[in-house]
Amino acid sequence: MFKWQKLGKVFIPQEVQNRSWLKEFAQAPATLVFDNFVRVYFSCRPPADKQGQYVSYSAYVDLERSDLFKICQVSEEPILSLGNIGEFDEFGTYPVSVIRDGNLIRAYYAGWTRCESVPFNVAIGCAISNDQGKTFTKLGKGPIVSYSPDEPFVLSGPKIRQFNGLWYLWYIAGRKWKIIEGRAEPVYKIRMATSYDGINWSKLNKDLIESRIEEDEAQASPDVFFSNGKYHMFFCYRYSSHYRSRQNGYRIGYASSTNLVDWVRDDSKAGIDVSEQGWDAEMISYPHIFELDGKTYMAYLGDQVGRYGFGLAALEGTFD
Amino acid sequence: MKWKKLGKIFDPTQHRLPNECAQFAQSPQTLIFDDFVRIYFSTRAVDKANGKYLSHIAYVDMSKDFHNIIRVSEHTVIPLGDLGCFDEHGIFPINLVRHDEVIYAYTCGWNRRVSVSVDTAIGLAVSHDNGQTFQRLGNGPVLAASLHEPCLVGDGFVKIIGDIWHMWYIFGTGWKTYTPDTPPDRTYKIGHAVSNNGIEWTQEEEARQIISDRLGKDESQALPSVIEMDDRYLMTFCYRQSSDFRKNKDRGYRIGHAWSDDLNNWTRDDENPHLALIPDEWDTEMQCYPHVFKCDDKVYLLYNGNEFGRYGFGLAVLET
Repeated sequence: MFKWQKLGKVFIPQEVQNRSWLKEFAQAPATLVFDNFVRVYFSCRPPADKQGQYVSYSAYVDLERSDLFKICQVSEEPILSLGNIGEFDEFGTYPVSVIRDGNLIRAYYAGWTRCESVPFNVAIGCAISNDQGKTFTKLGKGPIVSYSPDEPFVLSGPKIRQFNGLWYLWYIAGRKWKIIEGRAEPVYKIRMATSYDGINWSKLNKDLIESRIEEDEAQASPDVFFSNGKYHMFFCYRYSSHYRSRQNGYRIGYASSTNLVDWVRDDSKAGIDVSEQGWDAEMISYPHIFELDGKTYMAYLGDQVGRYGFGLAALEGTFD
Repeated sequence: MKWKKLGKIFDPTQHRLPNECAQFAQSPQTLIFDDFVRIYFSTRAVDKANGKYLSHIAYVDMSKDFHNIIRVSEHTVIPLGDLGCFDEHGIFPINLVRHDEVIYAYTCGWNRRVSVSVDTAIGLAVSHDNGQTFQRLGNGPVLAASLHEPCLVGDGFVKIIGDIWHMWYIFGTGWKTYTPDTPPDRTYKIGHAVSNNGIEWTQEEEARQIISDRLGKDESQALPSVIEMDDRYLMTFCYRQSSDFRKNKDRGYRIGHAWSDDLNNWTRDDENPHLALIPDEWDTEMQCYPHVFKCDDKVYLLYNGNEFGRYGFGLAVLET
């Protein structure tokens, strides 16, 4: 079992001034390490409209490398514009995952549209930055990973990695929509695709992580890294109904693999759970692991899936 | 060469149709049997939830001289998609291909959106009972929006030539609001994809428009179908202005033609064959959704007339 020491909440979106598009939520943190700071991308929202509908943007906050609890700056503008009318990302660009590619930085992001019978649909887009990740230009108006026979809707939560010269994309794919008390709620599972160029993707077409708490368990945020001879994945999972509660809400799970395709789930190893009280007492979700100056950190969300920001935990010891 | 009009051959309002459908017999497409021709079409029921239309597939079996109706399907040929799926709100059109004792159906599935009326994608279903019923390959599409074809992928027409499966289809280039008091309208163009197995499709070049515009860039092109004739290929399709096309007959659908020697380069020639446009009552305002096919060594064209086929479809035969 891993041991994580919770360090507390790092970033509170409500404290940011003068950004009309950033009022609440700091979801799905993803890091890019620079010489003097760590750039943490996250997704945020302006207030809901009159119908209670949100749009979501992605942005970043730079944390001082020597003290991650010191904020250097918050991006002045969203890193990506919303799509045009009828495009897959018209109503949201959330979440985003970044990776260096030579002098460029690539972002893989989920684009949101609104549907009539269900609240939304999601597909995965790609954008490129040549200014060190401050702004990104979309590769095209459509998605780079789209719907297919076994992945019919809600392709979201991309996490981009490179191992052994190959590009890997972990993401989630919707399995079914369940009507719970009159509201359509999506069930989704963790999936994977590979690519030689980061643009043309081959789907594995397989659920990577077996469901544990119920058949319709929803899984998200598959965050993979390599350490000590094997691949580790932290992710989050929840029940399919009444999950906006401590009882059924998100928890963080763990799986490991030697070949990136076959994964053994063992949540008892995850080593992090909800707190007795405080900002992460109801749920913990969207883990992201990164290494910095000899230490391993997990960025994650607390109650209400990051409405009030994200926090950090530090690994005690090493991965085995 | 010219098309000799044989008149309207099927009126949906004169028959009992499945799925509580009453009007419309759109986009007729054929499956040839030894002693009859099965003509599939899309017909419409009213969605009790909101009064909008749902398109369902039905068929009529006709004698090979097209004088007699043998039967009209009264059962569900293919159910609509599940909640949140690409084909939840309609299947229109359907294209049939025989291969290895199985009948493949390429469907165009419709799902309603919020900011625009609809999006579409191409699905695949197969029949093991001579086309009476079809089962989906999965809940998702085989060809959907992609990086440079951002919306409205549909109208797949598939032909196996040699070992290669060819698909001609349409892709949306975007939505535009033409006047302040009308909802946004879409534009689509004809593209081409190939496959080795009929399931996984690739475009040699995404968003390559293979048929030149006659009406400028706001021309919408739809329903490609292709036939081999004397070592050349003839494509029929329909085209219209992208706005104000529903009631203004000067801007509505007309039938176009193009010719190719190599399946790659197409020369548009709308007057060859000439559609002897002596307007009958049923197709004076528009002519749309053509389907070219061979039957007993003759080349025929099925198509819809006024009001997008609300009152059925007609037939023409090629005279050389």
